[in-house]
Amino acid sequence: MNWRKIFKVIHRDLGYICFGLVIIYSVSGIAVNHFDEWNPNYIINKTEKNIILPETLNDRELIILSILDQLAIKDSVLSSFQPSQNILQIFLKGKSLTVNFKDSEVQIEEVKNRTGIKEMNSLHLNVPKKLWTYVADLFALSLIILGITGLFIAPGNSGLMKRGKWFVIAGILLPIIFLLIYQ
Amino acid sequence: MKSLFKLFIGILFITVMLKADEGTKYGKEIELKETTKISEIINNPAEYLGKTVLVEGTIINVCAKRGCWMELSSDKEFESIRIKVNDGEIIFPMEAKGQKALVEGEVYSINVETEHKCDHKEGESCETGEQKKEVKTIYQIKGLGAVIK
Repeated sequence: MNWRKIFKVIHRDLGYICFGLVIIYSVSGIAVNHFDEWNPNYIINKTEKNIILPETLNDRELIILSILDQLAIKDSVLSSFQPSQNILQIFLKGKSLTVNFKDSEVQIEEVKNRTGIKEMNSLHLNVPKKLWTYVADLFALSLIILGITGLFIAPGNSGLMKRGKWFVIAGILLPIIFLLIYQ
Repeated sequence: MKSLFKLFIGILFITVMLKADEGTKYGKEIELKETTKISEIINNPAEYLGKTVLVEGTIINVCAKRGCWMELSSDKEFESIRIKVNDGEIIFPMEAKGQKALVEGEVYSINVETEHKCDHKEGESCETGEQKKEVKTIYQIKGLGAVIK
């Protein structure tokens, strides 16, 4: 077996293994690249509603029950907190209510996961840490090997020394040009 | 090859099942055993500045985009403290709002310059309506490790 064949086999089989991770890292890459324009992990919906508050605001449990009843919310309450005299926060699973006593208004914030993308972002940004750090390192190393072996697969006119070299030079120049422009 | 794949799926399943019951850990392992009341830190910040503390509270707010901070309720009404972590080191999930958290971290301070219109409150010497600059010292905790229950 000559070296070109060895490179071809490495490139092919490593490519199969890396396929899933390439998709995860690239989809997440696009998602987190646009942090300023959207939230890549959550869909947050905020709605405001007017409510009628109980006459006395001393009994927090009573206030919560009354508000949940008016809003027809059946979820159980996780906890509540009063950050100031006029504000009460009520936390439910996947939802939180901010009650404004002054304006008799409640803001309902619903948080939903962007299922799939959130998990991809978690792996891409190495949230799990521990063993995943090494899996990610191995993946990065595999990408280097894929890049190098890929250079030497095509023979003849499409090979690295002929047509291929111009593509390689273009690929190297692209980030350098951007660095020169933006730095 | 097929049995190897089945073994891999089996290990994955067991790992997920074992993890389900624990509180979720973030960052470093918590080493301190005794908790400090958040109200203690808020009311005597100078005493805790630069010290590593263990605090417990309800998560009342989380950074929506990057998960790089969360706010814990104090043991007293109207008080809370922000737990700030280095971007990417720890990412707090938004769905943790309302849950209890145990956080170990270092108390630090930052000076924030704020602007407000002169309203002669607290005996300010200025012309009414004039923009006044004020430097406020805010105390936060640099989160090193956390458990969300």
